[in-house]
Amino acid sequence: MATTTLKPSSGPPRRRSRRRFNSAYLFVAPSVVIIAVFIAEPIVQSAWMSLHDWTIGAASNPFTGLANYRSLWHDSRFWNALRVTLIYTAAVTVGQVGLGLAIASRLRRTTWYSSLLRTAYFFPFVASLVVVGIIWKFLLDPQVGLIDAWLGDLGVGNPPQWLQSTSLALPTVIVVGIWKNVGFTMIVLLAGMQQVPADLYEAAMLDGAGPWRRFTAVTLPALRPALLFTTLIATITGLQLFDLVFAMTSGGPVFSTESVVMYLYEKGFVEFQMGYASAIAWVLFIIILAVSAVQLRVARNRDGD
Amino acid sequence: MMIINSRRRAACLAATVAAAALVAGCGNNGVASTSAGGVVQLTMLTGFTGPDEPSYQALVAEFNKTHPDIHVTMTAEPWATVAQKLPAAWATGGGPDLATPSSDPGSIFNYIKTNSVLPLDSSVGTGDDQIQSAAFPTAVRNAFTVDGKLYAVPANMATLVLYYNKDMFTAAGITAPPKTEADFIADAKKLTVSSGGKVSQYGLSLADNNTIQMWPILQWMSGGDIVDAKGCGVVDSAASVAALTQWSQLVIQNHISPIGQAGADADTLFSSKKAAMEINGPWAAAGYKSAGINLGMAEVPVGSAGPVTLASTVPLMIERNGPHTAQAEQFLAWYTSKTAQLKFSQVSGFPPARTDLGSALAGNATVSLFAQALPYAKLYLAGLSQSTAIDSDVYVPMIQQIERGANVQSAASSANQQIDKLTGCTS
Repeated sequence: MATTTLKPSSGPPRRRSRRRFNSAYLFVAPSVVIIAVFIAEPIVQSAWMSLHDWTIGAASNPFTGLANYRSLWHDSRFWNALRVTLIYTAAVTVGQVGLGLAIASRLRRTTWYSSLLRTAYFFPFVASLVVVGIIWKFLLDPQVGLIDAWLGDLGVGNPPQWLQSTSLALPTVIVVGIWKNVGFTMIVLLAGMQQVPADLYEAAMLDGAGPWRRFTAVTLPALRPALLFTTLIATITGLQLFDLVFAMTSGGPVFSTESVVMYLYEKGFVEFQMGYASAIAWVLFIIILAVSAVQLRVARNRDGD
Repeated sequence: MMIINSRRRAACLAATVAAAALVAGCGNNGVASTSAGGVVQLTMLTGFTGPDEPSYQALVAEFNKTHPDIHVTMTAEPWATVAQKLPAAWATGGGPDLATPSSDPGSIFNYIKTNSVLPLDSSVGTGDDQIQSAAFPTAVRNAFTVDGKLYAVPANMATLVLYYNKDMFTAAGITAPPKTEADFIADAKKLTVSSGGKVSQYGLSLADNNTIQMWPILQWMSGGDIVDAKGCGVVDSAASVAALTQWSQLVIQNHISPIGQAGADADTLFSSKKAAMEINGPWAAAGYKSAGINLGMAEVPVGSAGPVTLASTVPLMIERNGPHTAQAEQFLAWYTSKTAQLKFSQVSGFPPARTDLGSALAGNATVSLFAQALPYAKLYLAGLSQSTAIDSDVYVPMIQQIERGANVQSAASSANQQIDKLTGCTS
């Protein structure tokens, strides 16, 4: 018995496919051009610049290989900036997610006052970071600020120099950073909590689980994707810290709040050392990539468990 | 088939429109000069966004009125914006004809290094239509001359004086502003008022960051300095360390000034009547008067090293590859002429950027006060290509450290090593 093998036709369908593909290509072209010009090309360009002694507008930018990276390795100010950035990121991520989870749990039920409080907590998130920084700078000013004035009224003789002290400036910026972003975490986690079926809680109660047991055995596992998302976002934005310290402390006093991006800005846009600034940007990019990958891997392993 | 073709045409049209819209975002930044109807149009980018902007605009308007064949348009943007856009604009030949790159005179080195600023020697001379650089204060002329070539003229000239609150002086029983460093210290202590362990009034308002520098004056008074003529650090010299120790102890132990103030904070403290004295430039006078302060102004007190204060000047330069450099040079010659500088002083309250207008200023007490300090005023880190880095990476952190109790000798020694590393000093 003869069998007939159907060969895939190679003529007209392919032509049709190519026609459709061409039209689609034209439609995505503007987006591709925008991404290529404003994202891809600068990324490649910055990698190239980091291998040169590159100054804006210089007649020549000699190739120096990995010299900028070697200088960075021996640059104590860069290591200080990295230390500041990592402390800020760790503290803000823990504080923001922990506090966001606590507030979301307390405001889970929708009542008029919980709605009011949700709005109040979320409001700082929609305000500009620079505006927030400037307002807090005024509030914390030891001479004209409200906070030290209140402390003075309460009998505190020498109120803390919040942003002038090398030991207090970074913790103060961290607290403001948590206050600014905790509303976002709260909203995401609240949305996650709303998705947990009420049946699960009823079943847990029938099994005799108390509030804390219901929280750890039902709520937290259900919130794992939302927690991963908020942790990842808080980590990445923490590592990119710039606006808040720029507005509140300009990186001072004595570099005690200078972040990596702040240092990058100083080198690139104040001293015009774009090659060195590009090397800093690439090191930061690799750090963010590594931290994000570790977080995702840990989360996946737990999901596997 | 007709429908498919129409759709394809529509798709192509949509994509073309999108691409055109994208490309339309690129192009000239609108600051290049043009010639229109025989009038050469020049553009000038400055950072004069403060209350002194109208004074500069008035000077430009006067030039335009007296030079019908040239029209200068001055724009003012924040210094940070100017610093970000000008290097690339001039390097690519698309920037303004004239610009003040920064309030820091040392910034000219960045533009000389990139070969984007025009040397002015061909138009320097003694004629009325030439740039009379011999009349500039020596410190300014030296700061703007690199390898024997003049690259900038002073867009303004300022010296710092002592502002004081007359009411606070009267309340403290002080009848006259301090003349000597010893009086200055005694008055600062006497004018500092504390109650319940909290300072309610400071004798002096000192800033240590984002400010026109005040601390170098305190060092210069006693013969200290930061960098010598060879570019070597001298901030750890005996005189410098003694001065820094004395003033840091006055801040730490006697609380004559708050610590960690930015320039704006220091101004606010004085204008809100919480400090009795401040060292500042002519731009501050109007704000203090409008704040209702019974304002007094005097020369900076004299220390063991003789009279000294800080001079400040903003460089005004021409783009090297601009299309109308001859007209731009003509503008600079007029801008720094006797007539223009006299008018500018009268309008702005700034001293003129020339040293040959003495008697012409006699009628204006404020301008005279600032002008009489010109012969002994010193520029901060003048003539150093690494001045920006020395200021932000070394000097400011050192002052912040000693204000917070760090050992002055070791902080100064460490700063000295960093300065030598930056300047390449080996002696």
